[in-house]
Amino acid sequence: MRTEPAIEDLLREVAPQVLGTLVRRHSQFDACEDAVQEALLAAARQWAADGVPENPRSWLVTVASRRLIDAWRSEAARQHREEAAAVLDLAGQGAASEQDDTLTLLFLCCHPSLSVPSQLALTLRAVGGLTTAEIARAFMVPEATMAQRISRAKERIKAAGMQFELPPEAERPERLRVVMQVLYLVFNEGYTTSSGPTLQRADLTTEAIRLTRMLLQLIPEEGEVAGLLALMLLTDARRAARTNEDGWLVPLDDQRRDLWNSAQISEGVELLTRTLGKAPVGPYQLQAAIAAVHDEASTAEETDWPQILALYEVLEQVSPGPVVTLNRAVAVARVHGPRAGLALVGTLDRDERMKHNHRLEAVRAHLLERAGDIDAARKSYDLAARMTASLPERRYLALRAARL
Amino acid sequence: MKYMIMTFGSAEAGLAAMGKEWMLEMIQFMRNLDEDLTKSGELVSNEGLADGSQAKTVRIKNGIPVPTDGPFAEAKESLVGYWIVDVESEARAIEIASKIVAFVKQPIEVRQVMDAPPEF
Repeated sequence: MRTEPAIEDLLREVAPQVLGTLVRRHSQFDACEDAVQEALLAAARQWAADGVPENPRSWLVTVASRRLIDAWRSEAARQHREEAAAVLDLAGQGAASEQDDTLTLLFLCCHPSLSVPSQLALTLRAVGGLTTAEIARAFMVPEATMAQRISRAKERIKAAGMQFELPPEAERPERLRVVMQVLYLVFNEGYTTSSGPTLQRADLTTEAIRLTRMLLQLIPEEGEVAGLLALMLLTDARRAARTNEDGWLVPLDDQRRDLWNSAQISEGVELLTRTLGKAPVGPYQLQAAIAAVHDEASTAEETDWPQILALYEVLEQVSPGPVVTLNRAVAVARVHGPRAGLALVGTLDRDERMKHNHRLEAVRAHLLERAGDIDAARKSYDLAARMTASLPERRYLALRAARL
Repeated sequence: MKYMIMTFGSAEAGLAAMGKEWMLEMIQFMRNLDEDLTKSGELVSNEGLADGSQAKTVRIKNGIPVPTDGPFAEAKESLVGYWIVDVESEARAIEIASKIVAFVKQPIEVRQVMDAPPEF
């Protein structure tokens, strides 16, 4: 069944608020989460037929509460209720705003003691309002597997006695970092992951952007959240050009720039301009700035590579790591020639963290090709093709090697 | 990240050499493992294959595909079964494989399923 888009948007928007209200009122995150899911499904059915109620939020709270009470009435759930009574007082303390509830929910779903796959799944369900079936489809696992993963995550929250409250001020930056990482992973999963022929899964990309937009509305003063949203918008803007009609990967240089989404680019650039200089600079803002330089060039030749190189130098200071160095090597090659880039790539050869990284070899192959060292380039492309775990990328690299 | 965890060998040889007791323990072990992986929300699929002696291998002979009896590789290296798991990291996939190896005392291959993001 496909819900009308307008109803679906509304449901997904209020879902975290409804869940927040319920958890605050009744405690027991896991039972409340199940009840809200049922209420969302009921709403999707009923609203499409009878129209949207005057106050959708309270409709959902009422229906979800009823489901919760029904569940509690069953004998098996009685025990849970008694356990819940003990923590009810804590949960009921202080009336927080809906904004705080949604934020609290995000922090809870992205709790560092949950595994990364669990964080992603739980965030999409509890905050994003997606169904288990939709999440399972997006990650290409059976629905039963995803259902189990979600219920395991909820059990863990319960067992660890995690409270429905904002993390203490001192832990906030680190916890926010995890939330942003989860949203970024959801985006990446949608943008690039693929088993088989399709390269992009737009739904997760759109969802990540929606959730990040929501997060920014909740905490507009956080420069890195703005940076993350800008990075997503500026990257996703190239989506239509990233593959050709046959589903092959098209590298940035060869992409048809008229296919880029100019509205999204403008929004990303504007957001970044508003943010840079006002908040402490961080890796997301810098990566967004690099994406913006690419997106603002009307042809590949017009790309301001010195500017990109300068940004990578700052990024390497702010958040050093071999992947950043590798990206800087690409920029160095554009500014100072392929040999200079290759020299920098060579410094990563002994880095343990890059040992199984195909991208080191793929970059080396490109630079060797540009330097005219065709034999060595072919070898590097071959090696990179064998090392990558992405099917479209393996095809692309194998083809580059075969073409030489 | 999805990984395929593959076991090799011959079911017949296993039966004969290890005895009934061990086989029963093995069946219980595999049941527990599958249950654990299902509960953790990591199991994507798992299958056991008929013994390699029952396999047919299709090869080109004089330009025509011709089936012959027997497995592609030597019987003792033939694929017996596999799990596909969706896990947080390669380390977790190896941890699962190690549990199996500790029990069956046979080598297990762990290989990533092609689904990671291309990075350019």
